Amino acid sequence: MPSFFNTWLPFIYLYGVGGLFFLGGMIIIRKAKGIDMRLKRHRFWWKVLIFGFFYFMIMHALLIIVALYW
Amino acid sequence: MEQYHSIGTTADWVVMVFYFLGIMLFGTYFSKYNRNTTDFFFGGRRFSWWLIAMSIVATGVGSHSFIKYSAKGFEHGISSTMTYMNDWFFLPFFLFGWLPIVIYTRIRSIPEYFEKRFSPLARFIATIFQLFYMVGYVGIGLLTMGKAILPLLPQTMTILGVTFGINLMGLIIVIGFITGVYITLGGQTAVIFTDLMQGFILVFAGMLVFVLGIRYVGGFDQFWNLLPATWKLPLAHFNNPPDFNFVGIFWQDGVAGSIGFLFMNMGLLMRFMATKSVDEARKAASFNVLFMLPISAIVVGNAGWIGKAISVANPSMVSPNINPDSVFVVIANIISHPGIFGFIMASLTAALMSTVDTLINASAAVYINDVHRPLRKWLKKKSRSAKEEDKKELGAARIASIVLTMLGVVAVIPFSKFPTVYEAHGYFHSTLTPPLVTAIFLGVFWKKFTPAAVIATFLGGAALMIIGARYPAVLISPFDHGTFMDAKHPYTYISALYNSVVCVSLGVIVALSDRLLKRTVQLIKRNSLHYFFMSSSVVVAVLLFAAILLNLFSLELLVISSILLTLLIALTATYFIKYDPEVQTTGLTAWSMHKAKEMFKGGKINEQEGKIVKVHFKLRDDTNDYVNLSIEDMQKMAAEVGDLVYVSDARKYLGGLKSFHSKIGEPHTENGIICISQEHQKAGLLKKSKILTAEKEI
Repeated sequence: MPSFFNTWLPFIYLYGVGGLFFLGGMIIIRKAKGIDMRLKRHRFWWKVLIFGFFYFMIMHALLIIVALYW
Repeated sequence: MEQYHSIGTTADWVVMVFYFLGIMLFGTYFSKYNRNTTDFFFGGRRFSWWLIAMSIVATGVGSHSFIKYSAKGFEHGISSTMTYMNDWFFLPFFLFGWLPIVIYTRIRSIPEYFEKRFSPLARFIATIFQLFYMVGYVGIGLLTMGKAILPLLPQTMTILGVTFGINLMGLIIVIGFITGVYITLGGQTAVIFTDLMQGFILVFAGMLVFVLGIRYVGGFDQFWNLLPATWKLPLAHFNNPPDFNFVGIFWQDGVAGSIGFLFMNMGLLMRFMATKSVDEARKAASFNVLFMLPISAIVVGNAGWIGKAISVANPSMVSPNINPDSVFVVIANIISHPGIFGFIMASLTAALMSTVDTLINASAAVYINDVHRPLRKWLKKKSRSAKEEDKKELGAARIASIVLTMLGVVAVIPFSKFPTVYEAHGYFHSTLTPPLVTAIFLGVFWKKFTPAAVIATFLGGAALMIIGARYPAVLISPFDHGTFMDAKHPYTYISALYNSVVCVSLGVIVALSDRLLKRTVQLIKRNSLHYFFMSSSVVVAVLLFAAILLNLFSLELLVISSILLTLLIALTATYFIKYDPEVQTTGLTAWSMHKAKEMFKGGKINEQEGKIVKVHFKLRDDTNDYVNLSIEDMQKMAAEVGDLVYVSDARKYLGGLKSFHSKIGEPHTENGIICISQEHQKAGLLKKSKILTAEKEI
């Protein structure tokens, strides 16, 4: 069985540190009004951005599980 | 390591030659759409998102090539995909920060942004960094292409009775020549369309290798079971080995590389600038990262995984000691038939050519915009007519393309010293991207970032990076996260973290010291010799930078020198550069996006969401740049007089090739009719019988 250093530590680091960058970006564009939540199109983009983050996170988690147990 | 030669058959070479001729003819056909330098470089800001998204695939896949990911796939398994799946973190910054600014400010190059936001000096330094970055990228592309083609060729060749050996550098010079000729003929529209076609072909070719490979090893279960457990994991080991570890690659690729690719790759930005609107560019970028990059990760790496499975099952077929950069070519040859192998190789090399073409095109744009034009202005050359000027610039752009290709060939020399293309590219990203990326990032998202801070980031950051590269055991090791330092290529990846930290730290410290710097400059100005004193400081700063570059002092003295250098840069920049924080941040940072839109439009923006209307056109006699729609059509579009409008041929498969932008003029009463000028018809290549669509932009 591969070690924690090979499996979940990179995952935690990727979505922990990467998540901080992502969260920082979301806060800044919202505060700066780069994304304007009054516009329907921008509300759509807000959802796409959040979806993208979890889409990659779930994909990586599934791939690790598949590699370990399948 | 084993180096293969003479792989492939005559049938493969025939397919390759025909493929290349076909691609060149295809590109040449679209070169007729270049009417001026704007079209040559930017494709005229007219294309649909799907066309740009697919054309980016060829650029992205080409640059993050089959060669390097197959090599890492063979050495380390499915974790070769991780660099394709870590780009989302910076998408918010890109989609709603940098991308709209680039489009709304109508900048033609990144250095131009630095002049608007900071000063001409900041633009000058940014131009140097930008050209280094792009020429380096061209070098990486040429090196990869050379490594892809070398295994196909014999060790020696006889032409007209003269026998000569074939080596990597010689081959790269020939490739550079062909690539340079091709780009000077085409232009951006040609590149976009050849890339569009190649995007589809590449994905198909990569998937074909995967399907044929799986069949070759006896099905998916057999393939999966042959791979060692660690080969199946999607992320590499956290900090080991030095040539491929997660944490180093996260900072090098996921952070420096992703931001570098999105924020300072002018080739990619020019693609987004070729879309018809900011929203279309957002769609192209997010579709690419969400769907095309994960597919591309499989497409480019799978030959390595198949190769590993074959080498486990039959080591005599694929030696475990094979040169990793040859894996793709060797595996493609083993699993496919003659002719099919030729097709796979042709699509690979043509895609690499696309990447290099895009970069050369972008570098030429930077040259024209940031060297040629400012130089002409500085030399006070007599201005010619706009048409004559454009013709001359097009000629200069073509010469620049050739020179930049030659510089790209020279850049191959240091990169070829690395064991694999992957490591060469990693080192390149870690070293060249942090100063410019930091400067763009802080400039766009932090209004308090000053010209003194940006120049300190560039030069002070570069100085500390040079010292870090010389003394990695002392300066970079505190950031190494436990990764082992390979003495030959120390901290290839994690050095990106050190480089980013020093650049960001200097930028932030100098920006926060703005008041102190201004007060100090005021004090200096009280002395009658203030100009002499500050000019001397510039000379001292230059000497200090030279001393750091030439490594003239001990480590301690070098660090002190770089701090002193940063201080002098901050003081002299504050003294010499005229900077109006109000004017030079309005519309140029993420905090004034609304203003940027107003500046782009030239008036109050209209963000009401309307519909797209279908119309036929009627020609007006004048040449004024506005179109007239009916009152009813304008109501459907939620448009007002003065709004920006995008008019396109209604056939969606054209992807906006036949289209133009204009403003809405006074309305008429004839529903379904748009009145345009002859210039509009010419710009949009519109035919009388065809239906058009009209869409309000802002």
